Amino acid sequence: MDVVIVSVLSGMSYGVVLFLVAAGLSFVLGLMGIVNVAHGALVMTGAYAGIHVAKATGSLILGGLAGALLAGLVGFLLERAFLRNLYKFQLEQILVTFGFIYILANIHLWVYGSWPLDAFVPSVLNGSVVIGRFSFSVFRLLIMGIGAVLCPVLWWIQDRTRIGAVIRAGMDDPDMLAVMGINLRPVNIAVFFAAASLAGFAGVIGAFPLGGVTLGLGQDMIFLAIAVVVVGGVGSIQGAFAGALTMGVFSSVAGTYLPAAAIFVPYFLMVAILIFRPQGLLGRSEA
Amino acid sequence: MGLTKATKGRLFRLAPSTVLIVLLATAPAWADISIISLLTKIIIFGVLAMSLDMVFGYLGLWSFCHAALFSVAAYVDAILIQHFGVSFWLAAPVSILAAAAAAALFAWIGLRMSGIYFLLITLALGQLVFSVAFVWRAFTGGSQGLSSISYPNIGIEFSPVSFYYFTFVIVLVCAVILHLLMKSPFGYSLRGIRENETRMIAIGFNTWMHKFIAFTISGAFAGVAGVLYVHYNGIIIPSTGDMASSGLITIMVIIGGAGSLWGGMIGGAIIYILSYFVSLFTPERWPLILGACFVAAVMFFRGGVYPQLLRWWRLASGAKSALRESREG
Repeated sequence: MDVVIVSVLSGMSYGVVLFLVAAGLSFVLGLMGIVNVAHGALVMTGAYAGIHVAKATGSLILGGLAGALLAGLVGFLLERAFLRNLYKFQLEQILVTFGFIYILANIHLWVYGSWPLDAFVPSVLNGSVVIGRFSFSVFRLLIMGIGAVLCPVLWWIQDRTRIGAVIRAGMDDPDMLAVMGINLRPVNIAVFFAAASLAGFAGVIGAFPLGGVTLGLGQDMIFLAIAVVVVGGVGSIQGAFAGALTMGVFSSVAGTYLPAAAIFVPYFLMVAILIFRPQGLLGRSEA
Repeated sequence: MGLTKATKGRLFRLAPSTVLIVLLATAPAWADISIISLLTKIIIFGVLAMSLDMVFGYLGLWSFCHAALFSVAAYVDAILIQHFGVSFWLAAPVSILAAAAAAALFAWIGLRMSGIYFLLITLALGQLVFSVAFVWRAFTGGSQGLSSISYPNIGIEFSPVSFYYFTFVIVLVCAVILHLLMKSPFGYSLRGIRENETRMIAIGFNTWMHKFIAFTISGAFAGVAGVLYVHYNGIIIPSTGDMASSGLITIMVIIGGAGSLWGGMIGGAIIYILSYFVSLFTPERWPLILGACFVAAVMFFRGGVYPQLLRWWRLASGAKSALRESREG
C-alpha cells in the first residue's frame, strides 16, 4: 500500500512540472493557433540559467525568477521575430521552432558545456518525510504545493477575470473580438511571454524530479508536453492539469510496477485519447 | 535540322536530369572515396525524401514518422540478417513489407485526424518505434543499436564504389516508379485530395482508401531507403528513427520544394553537402547551422529550390513553352 502512495505522490509532483510546461503550450495553441515546438527548449533555457543563478546565490526563489525571466525573454523574441509572421501556417511554425530546438541546445552546449546539470536543492528542503516504510522527498512536496497554489490561481485568471474572458473569447472567435474593439495583439504577446516564463520556471524546479537536466531536455520535454496537451485537451487550465496529472501518475505507477513499460505510457495515453476522445479529457469543445 | 519543335522542347526539358544522371553515374571517375560515400548517403536519403514528398507534397498529409518507418525496415533487415542468418534476398523484401505494414497501421490510426493532429499522432507513433528500439535490447541492442552489418551478401564482393552503383540503380528504379506513379491517374487523384477533399468525395472518390494506399506505398519506399541505409552505414541506432530525424527529412523536402518529387533529393543534397563541409571546419556548431537552415528554409525558401531552378530553366528554354508548362504543372 505504501508503495502505491509513494508512487502516486511522486507521479503527482512530476505531473505538476508537466502541468507548468503544458499549460503554456496549450494556451498558445488554443489562443494563437501556434504550435511552439521550441517550448521544451525554453524549459531547458530556464533550467540552465535558473539553476546556475540559484547555485550562485543560494536562493531557489531568485533562481526560479531568473529562469522564468530568461525563458520568457527568449520566447518573446521568438514570437516577435519569427512566429508573428507565421500565424495560421502551422507546419511552418513547427519547422521553425524545431530549428530553434537545435539552435538553443547548441548555444547551451557552447555556454555551459555538455555535462548534465544537477538540480539545485536548498538545504532546508533536502530532507524527506516518512510514509510507512518509505520516505518521500520534501522538495517534491514543495513542488506539489506550488502546483496546488498555481493551478487554482491560473484557473481563476482564466474563468473569473477580464483578461481571462478576453483570452477565452479570442480562442472562440477572434474576428468578433476585433469587431468589439478589443486588440488581441498585446494579449497574444502577454500570453506567449507568460507561457514561456512558466516553462522556464518549470525547468528550474522540475530539474529535481527529472533527475537533473541535459541538453536533450528540449526534445524530451516537448514530446511529453504535446502528449499532455493532447490527452488533456487544448486551451484550458483544467485540461492541462488533468492531462499532466494523468500522465505523471500513470508514468510513475508504471515505472514502479513495470519499468520496461513506463516509457510507453505517453504514447498509449495519446493514441488512445486521439482515437476515442479526440477533443481530450477536458478540452474546450470544438466550436 | 530534322528535329521538330516538340522534340527539341522535350530534349531541352530532359537535359538537366540527363546531365545529373550522367554525373552521378560517372561519379567514381571524378570523385574520391569520401565524396562517393557522401553521394551514396544523399541518394539513399533522396529515396526517403521522395517517399515523404509523395504523401507530404502531393497528398498534403503532414507525416512526421517517415524516419521511423525507415528505421523499421533498417532494424528488421539487420535483425533478420544478424540474429537469424537470413539471406539478403529474403531479408530485404521482408523489411520493406514490414515498413509498409507499419505505415498501413499508422495510417489506419492516424487518418482519423487531419492537419496538425495527423502530424501529432504520426509523431507519437514514430516516437513509439524509437522507444521500442530503445527498450527491446535482446533484438535491437538498446541504445547501442546494432553494429557491424556488412554489405549485402549477394555473391558480389562489394567495395564502396560497387555499393554506390548498387544503390544508384535501386534509387533510379525507385525514382522512376515514383515518378510514373505521380503521373498516373492515381497520382493526380492524390493532388485532387490535397486541393479539395470534399469535392473529391462528391465526385465519387474513396479518399480514405486513396490516402491509406498512398501512405502504405510511401512506407514501402521509406523501407527501401532503410534497407539501403543499414548496409551503407553498417550500424543502426534508435535515434535514426526519432522525431528529430523525421523533422530533418521534412526540411529536406521543404528546401527542395514540396510536391516536386526530385526536390527532396536536392534538398537532401544541400543539407548533407553542407553538413560535410561544416564537419570539416566546425563540427561542434553543426546543430546551430542545421537549426538556422530550418529557420531560413521556412522563412525564405518556402517555394523550394527545385521548382525555382525548373522555372529558370524553362524560361531559358523559351518563354512560350515555359508558359504552357507552368499552366499544366
